[in-house]
Amino acid sequence: MSTPDAPAKPALAATPRQNEQMRSKGRSRSVWRLALRDPTTIIGILAAILFAYLIVVPVISMLSDAILVQFGEERRAHAAVGMPTLYYLTRTFSSAVSSDLFWQPLVHTLEVAAGAIILAVAIGGTMAWLLSRTNMLARRWLATALIVPYMLPAWTFALAWTTLFKNRTIGGQLGWLEAIGLSPPDWLAYGQVPITIIMALHYAPFVILLFGNALRRFDSQLEDSARVLGAGTTTVTTQIILPLMLPSLLSAIILIFAKSLGEFGVPYVLGLPVDFDVLSTSLYRNISSRHTGVAAVLAGSIMLIGILSMLVDARLVREARRFVTIGSKGSMNRLSALGPLRLPATGLAFLIFLLSVGLPLATLFLSTIMRQPANFSPDNFTLDFWIGHDLGTVALRTGILLSPDLWNAAWNSLWIVGTASVTSGILGLLVGYVVARTLLWPLAMFLRHVTFLPYLVPGIAFAAAYLSLFAVPRGPIPSLYGTAFILLLALVAEQMPYASRAGISAMMQLGKDPEEAAQIAGAGWLRRMLSIVIPIQKGSLSTGILMPFISGIKGLSLFVILAVPSTDVLTTYSLRLVDYHYTQAANAVVLIIAGLAYFGTLLAQKLTKTNLAEGLGG
Amino acid sequence: MPTISLRNVEKSYGNGALNAVSDLDLEIGDGEFMCLLGPSGCGKTTTLRMIAGLEHLSGGEIQVGSDKVDDVDAGIFVPPERRGMGLVFQSYALWPHLTIERNTDFGLRLRKVPKPEREARVTEVMQALGIEQYRDRYPSQLSGGQQQRVALARMLAVNPQVLLLDEPLSNLDARLRLEMRAELKRLHEAFKTTIVFVTHDQWEAMTLATTIAVMRDGRLQQVGTPNDIYDRPANRFVAEFVGNPPINLVEMSAAETSTLARALRPVLGERTDVGSVGIRPEALHLATTDAEVPTGAFHVRARISGVLPTGGSWIVEIAAGNDKLFAAAHEPPGFTAGDDVVVWAKPAALHLFNAAGDRLAGLASPDHARKN
Ligand SMILES: Nc1ncnc2c1ncn2[C@@H]1O[C@H](COP(=O)(O)OP(=O)(O)O)[C@@H](O)[C@H]1O
Ligand SMILES: [Mg+2]
Repeated sequence: MSTPDAPAKPALAATPRQNEQMRSKGRSRSVWRLALRDPTTIIGILAAILFAYLIVVPVISMLSDAILVQFGEERRAHAAVGMPTLYYLTRTFSSAVSSDLFWQPLVHTLEVAAGAIILAVAIGGTMAWLLSRTNMLARRWLATALIVPYMLPAWTFALAWTTLFKNRTIGGQLGWLEAIGLSPPDWLAYGQVPITIIMALHYAPFVILLFGNALRRFDSQLEDSARVLGAGTTTVTTQIILPLMLPSLLSAIILIFAKSLGEFGVPYVLGLPVDFDVLSTSLYRNISSRHTGVAAVLAGSIMLIGILSMLVDARLVREARRFVTIGSKGSMNRLSALGPLRLPATGLAFLIFLLSVGLPLATLFLSTIMRQPANFSPDNFTLDFWIGHDLGTVALRTGILLSPDLWNAAWNSLWIVGTASVTSGILGLLVGYVVARTLLWPLAMFLRHVTFLPYLVPGIAFAAAYLSLFAVPRGPIPSLYGTAFILLLALVAEQMPYASRAGISAMMQLGKDPEEAAQIAGAGWLRRMLSIVIPIQKGSLSTGILMPFISGIKGLSLFVILAVPSTDVLTTYSLRLVDYHYTQAANAVVLIIAGLAYFGTLLAQKLTKTNLAEGLGG
Repeated sequence: MPTISLRNVEKSYGNGALNAVSDLDLEIGDGEFMCLLGPSGCGKTTTLRMIAGLEHLSGGEIQVGSDKVDDVDAGIFVPPERRGMGLVFQSYALWPHLTIERNTDFGLRLRKVPKPEREARVTEVMQALGIEQYRDRYPSQLSGGQQQRVALARMLAVNPQVLLLDEPLSNLDARLRLEMRAELKRLHEAFKTTIVFVTHDQWEAMTLATTIAVMRDGRLQQVGTPNDIYDRPANRFVAEFVGNPPINLVEMSAAETSTLARALRPVLGERTDVGSVGIRPEALHLATTDAEVPTGAFHVRARISGVLPTGGSWIVEIAAGNDKLFAAAHEPPGFTAGDDVVVWAKPAALHLFNAAGDRLAGLASPDHARKN
């Protein structure tokens, strides 16, 4: 088990690295000889090769697409296929179309992220404080309830939004407001405003969890000491509380920024109708229209911004560690009495819950059992969209539950994500084992960093990298595009940061003793692995499998690029239904995904007795 | 400097549990070094926090000098920032984001003390506590003992009239503890500050305090000088809590089964009010035969079950029938495990308690009738 207050993302802890370096001191030759006889080394080297292929090579392949002439573009680039060119960089950054391709989407991405961050911090910060430091009512229940938006796919809310606000600008069923005669303007129905609001509601749980955690651990005695020295409320707040809370708040902000960078579903559903492009949708457009070179430039840019923000975060974490609170024995967490504001505060928290969970889910559900939008007469209600026959539509003539496509997609989701999660969970444990045990510190360093790399690359850019490498046959490996295999590999790679973090921290905590005891008792390497290491690490292994599984089930950005109709998973299937304007069916599928993700999370927490905060960022 | 008076102070956290503090009357005199002593959870911290103004009383009042700072009935409450006290927490509660210097001058800055004066004062306090060289470090870069000094310096810098210390030494190792204890005593003498010191360590209380207040379950048990507390414990609880090795207690109600109770019976004579008898380990003497025992003294035949040297003194474990006794000696006892001995004590050294555990008048010592 990893510690409950471990950082929410795979952090490169300092201590083991120092160990690695210490181990290296001037005895490398004999170390190598020793290491090569050790199965740990063999496994470590195999793992290193595997991850180099699954993670490093795709990224390099993609980046090289950005500077090599692509097939069919010899004339535009004035060079032969495969020759180096600046054509794609110029086209993306400084041509007549660069504004549409890159600059506008970049500005939109930053604006949406900034708006979402401000809103999420306002909402999440208030809620975190109410939940962890006041005597607000129903805090236990609300503490879980207010996290629910994070358990659901973000574009669940986007679909709910369109169900309510869609106007006549695009085809398909009308939104409820339009249906009752209130025409919502485009700015409210699509584009920046709804995207910002939805992302804010979706990411507010980050703030509640990270900032709330810091608030909960904040020792009231730090405040008390200032007060006995004569500090009033303002001084205490500005000089003691805020400076100490800042790192966790900034961490949450950067996490939101990095996540919103790769967010695809929400801007796809809400931005497309008014041509409001962000970087991820622009990338998607270019991939769909086979502009591989430009797509590579875009993906590289997203990646670069992602890496930069993570570097800033790492720096902040280091800064924060300098004045980390020393394990205070008598630490106290006193709750402020809200007095007459107790009821209004509780009301506000329930309102946030209603707006961010209750209303969207209720809207989605009602939409799936109503023929006409916003018509609440009894004869308008039907279960046809779930279980009906002969629905008079062009395609999908049965209720969604009777459609083989749904079950096909569900099965794909289950087995592809399931297999990937189990694989990455086990690989993560192996990486942890090698990192904790190997005598070769360069090997440990490499494994640690390479498995962390996908964390810096937003899903959609990572998918682009996979497409770039595996869309064509390379050497003995046939083209994987269109097979489930490419999804599987990409998923495994994408989940490695979480899996290897879980594995490394579990193995570091385990120590060598149990295994050495078995070794002395005469157990060989495999025996030790199977009957000592894996059984002991059962708990962390199941966390390392379940958490990625859930985030994989609701994940979209990876699949939307790599899946084809025959390898549709639930998320891409529902997006296809959105494209075909089968509103009820799309909403029903999204509800199924939301249910799976929500109950899966609950189950995982129950089984592994872990806290959701650990799965953050997944 | 003012006297602090607590009258009928009550504190309940309103969670249905017992009061954290009940009906507490306590007078802390000017310049006193008062120790609040008691087991964990008895309400010491709560009492200290109420004096500092960090907790509101549920009942009663607190007066500092001639000013009421807290009075539930009159609705008076002076907030902590205006009480001019210094409080040092068990966990030090240093501000991790500020350097040692900024931690120390925090209070002075709040008081808008001009820079030269401020720096002079900070330097003075830091030098007194030997932490000057750490000025620019952060708390996490200091050891526990150093942090503890910073916590003290932070409070001393503003020259508080009263210094409240909540188990400040409990996180230190034995040696540092000893040093800091001496230092606290020195500080008390040098600054003439009134100090209220909370501890669950009776040894610490005995060595530091001018007055000890023993608490149990939120109630005051006894207030007195360390010698008072040790020599005339007000009840069984105090007798048991103070003293190491702990006092030997004999239940008189168990006279049929207890060898010790049977042996005590004749010494107590007419006294029928005695519920239990306590004998401090160092009041027990060992002899080879009855003949060496003074007349009228309590004595019993027993066997040595172990001798534990504790460096300069010895603890002797003795079995008398089914009962066990501890004796303490400052010279080698001259017996080894398995030896048969006579254990005796002067009647005046016996602490008598009634059935409720309260102290009774002791026995007179028949020192006129000595043998030999
Ligand atoms: N903030 C609080 N809320 C509820 N109960 C408390 C609180 N603080 C202390 N108590 C209770 O009050 C009693 C006395 O606590 P405390 O004063 O901390 O004891 P001590 O310092 O002597 O160990 C304990 O039973 C404790 O559980
Ligand atoms: Mg305490």
